[in-house]
Amino acid sequence: MDQKHLMGDDEERLDALFQTYRKACPDPEPSANFMPQLWQKIEARERTSTVFVRLARNLVTAALALSSIMALMVTVSHSRATSLPSDTYVEVLEEDHARQNLDYFEPVRVDPIADHR
Amino acid sequence: MLVDFELIIRARDGDGAAFNQLVLAYRKRILGTIGRLIGHPEDVEDVGQEVFLRLYFSLDQLRSAEVFEPWLYRLTANAAYDYLRKRRRRMESRMADLSEQQVTVADALASTKVDHDEGQRKAIRETVDSLLDGVSQEDRVLLMMKEVEGLSLKELGKIYHVNENALKVRLFRARQRVLKSFRTSRKPAVGLGGSR
Repeated sequence: MDQKHLMGDDEERLDALFQTYRKACPDPEPSANFMPQLWQKIEARERTSTVFVRLARNLVTAALALSSIMALMVTVSHSRATSLPSDTYVEVLEEDHARQNLDYFEPVRVDPIADHR
Repeated sequence: MLVDFELIIRARDGDGAAFNQLVLAYRKRILGTIGRLIGHPEDVEDVGQEVFLRLYFSLDQLRSAEVFEPWLYRLTANAAYDYLRKRRRRMESRMADLSEQQVTVADALASTKVDHDEGQRKAIRETVDSLLDGVSQEDRVLLMMKEVEGLSLKELGKIYHVNENALKVRLFRARQRVLKSFRTSRKPAVGLGGSR
């Protein structure tokens, strides 16, 4: 019973301590520099974010330019490649092989026997 | 609400003058809350400016003017929490450099410089500070918002976007921990006026 009473007493004391703390820390009057300093901080952060935005934009522009140059280079090298023989090694081999086969299968000419006496 | 919804909407839409008015209306209340949450009057303005700085850059995300105050309190609680976390880290490294004797002497010298009232306030702040040492920084801020700032569970639910029952459980546990420290504390409670 006494223990319970003491515990309840502690709860009340703790509440009282929090209330005393509330009174001991009233809302302070802001200093005269509060607003100017706040706007300075806002402007400084805006400047920083502007620098980052510019940096990001420049990076994007550079990346676009680089990809355009690379695309151009790929196109040029591709068009050059088309002027060269387009057949692959296998195709050339196959063509050659076919020609040889034709030679092989060419019908044999047999001269007619002149005098069959 | 200390201001009209129209002013909040104007500030949200990028009107600098409206934002200025908004800060002027709320700064005293917010500085008071921060002072009680962090317990270090010398850093209150810095943390307060951080709150309004975050407000300035996040105001465009505000859905409606009705939720402005919970939004502002959320920013306040977050800024106080960030400050407390950094301070604890700083204190740990600083305390590691000083011997116990040096800390005692420094404390004694500091307390002789302040007048009686301020000394008593300081003692109360220190008592509460040491009691809250046993709970995490998040629970400390939450408990102070409830017990000292007097916010209801409903208001806290809106600020933290958490179910009221979950908040109740968390607050109960935090309070029990503080109560335990309070009981075991050998320091006499300073300036208590008895029961409410």
